[in-house]
Amino acid sequence: MATINSAFGIMTQALDADQAALSIVANNVANASTPGYTKEIPQWQEDAPVTINGAPYGQGVTETGPRSVRDRVLTERLDQQQQLASASNARLSALDTMQTLFTPDSGSTSATAGDIGNDITAFFSSFTTLEANPTNDADRQGVLSAAATLSSDISGAASSLNAQRSDLDQEVAGIGGQVNSLTASIAQLNQQIQTSSPEADAGTLEDQREEDVSQLSNLIGINQITTENNGLSITTTSGDLLVSEGTSFQMTNGTVDGITHLFVGTKDITSGLTGGGGELGGDLTARDQDIPSSLASLDQLAYGISTEVNAQNNAGIDMNGQAGGNIFSSSSAVTGSALTMSVKMTDANGVAAAGSGQGSGGNLNATALANLGNVSNPPILNGLTLSDGQTLAAGQTLLNGQTPSDYFSSFVSSLGSTVSEVQTENTAQTASVTQLQTQNDALSSVNLNDEASAMSTLETSYQAAAKVFSILSTVMTSALNLGQETTVS
Amino acid sequence: MDTSLKTLMLEASAALSRLDSARLEELALSCQALNRELPSLSRDKQMDLARQSRTTTAQMVAFKRILEATKANLDVMSRLRDLREGRLEYLVSDSCRWIRTESRHGDN
Repeated sequence: MATINSAFGIMTQALDADQAALSIVANNVANASTPGYTKEIPQWQEDAPVTINGAPYGQGVTETGPRSVRDRVLTERLDQQQQLASASNARLSALDTMQTLFTPDSGSTSATAGDIGNDITAFFSSFTTLEANPTNDADRQGVLSAAATLSSDISGAASSLNAQRSDLDQEVAGIGGQVNSLTASIAQLNQQIQTSSPEADAGTLEDQREEDVSQLSNLIGINQITTENNGLSITTTSGDLLVSEGTSFQMTNGTVDGITHLFVGTKDITSGLTGGGGELGGDLTARDQDIPSSLASLDQLAYGISTEVNAQNNAGIDMNGQAGGNIFSSSSAVTGSALTMSVKMTDANGVAAAGSGQGSGGNLNATALANLGNVSNPPILNGLTLSDGQTLAAGQTLLNGQTPSDYFSSFVSSLGSTVSEVQTENTAQTASVTQLQTQNDALSSVNLNDEASAMSTLETSYQAAAKVFSILSTVMTSALNLGQETTVS
Repeated sequence: MDTSLKTLMLEASAALSRLDSARLEELALSCQALNRELPSLSRDKQMDLARQSRTTTAQMVAFKRILEATKANLDVMSRLRDLREGRLEYLVSDSCRWIRTESRHGDN
């Protein structure tokens, strides 16, 4: 009887264990769409053998609870790549907006499209037109009209850049709040995990913590440090502590030079966060580097054009026979010149088409004014004293030794190049995230055999892609050589 | 044959992102065919391909970066596999052998 009872006991345990395992499977199915849920697998434990008359009989089995199928190495890699992808995505979005400011709408006139490049050409061309008929009132009005369009578009672009910077500033402040909320949650989960499951996987609690860390990775660049008893500490990529096991360190906002800076305690961590990953890193890079850099170029362009044109107009004789005055409002400094650029002259007779010593109907100065658009180092700059008191020596220029059109083209080209670089980064990082998610999904839902299969897919894809890349390189090199030979022949 | 290099590279980048090895193998075969036929293409087509080669640098750079990222991911996964294999070795003991056996039983 003892043997039959023991056998029933073993069978009952096995059935209970199977039932528990089925419950875990059912839980997996029920949570299939739950964000961040990690599949659980049953864990089995051998029971002590049944001994009858000194001989062991059978061995029972007990289901000891679920174990989540997670891999911290992979999820951490995924989080890191997500931080880079989010940063480049946020920066790319800002750069795209900036680029549209300097890309005219197809088919629009320069005035409505904000095409500064066309405006520059049209403005200096208006002097060429005036040169042919220096006393023609309509041509004189044409100069002021072209000047108004140019200054309006430059100041409009500067204003839009400032507005975009202000929007990004608000986003930065908002992200700070979201980061605080997540770090507080992670610290609380740390406490719960360390209390309830210091040695083993904490299942749902770890799922929640992983989900929080994943969301945090979308927002900010972080380092994760696993601590004792299943704890997790988090720092920014520059090493500032955000979570230390059960304690979170909140970021606070402050205003420095009119823009939002982020602090932990009394330490300003803004520069460390710039370029450090996550949406915040991308936004800060755009706010503190890309936009100021573009504004500086626009300021230099506005200052260069207005200074050169004003100086040249001052050197001529206007329609009233007087020395010419300023066409543009003069700036006291380069910074802010684009935003404040405007036409000062209201009377078209003030345009000094005649050269010094000519009658008011002359055109020598109109020629010199028109040439400002074509020469990289106009003679009027030699010895010119600027508004800040600096006197330019021979060879010194205001637009990096370029004509206004070339200077603007270089700026637009440089911006386009930055957009292209960030686009490439973003494409690669997003692809990497997709790959890792595929791998992570595979690991979270399969057994060891399927895991090997997932690994094999990654390896095969890499090898096939490397082959495609290698052959394409060969094709392109050959095509370029054949194209050259064909051209020569 | 579609000889648009840009399309080819964009397609390869997308396939590599989603680890579509079958599509990548197809693309590799297409590229091999293109490479084989290149010398016998008409001059117009050769010139067109040369022009495409000059204007698809950005796509090629992006593809290369995805390839590099994939290699980095592959390295991470390889290290992970080594780690797991080490763990399996450690588990070769009486109790763990039992666990593996029962795991199969549970799957059944």
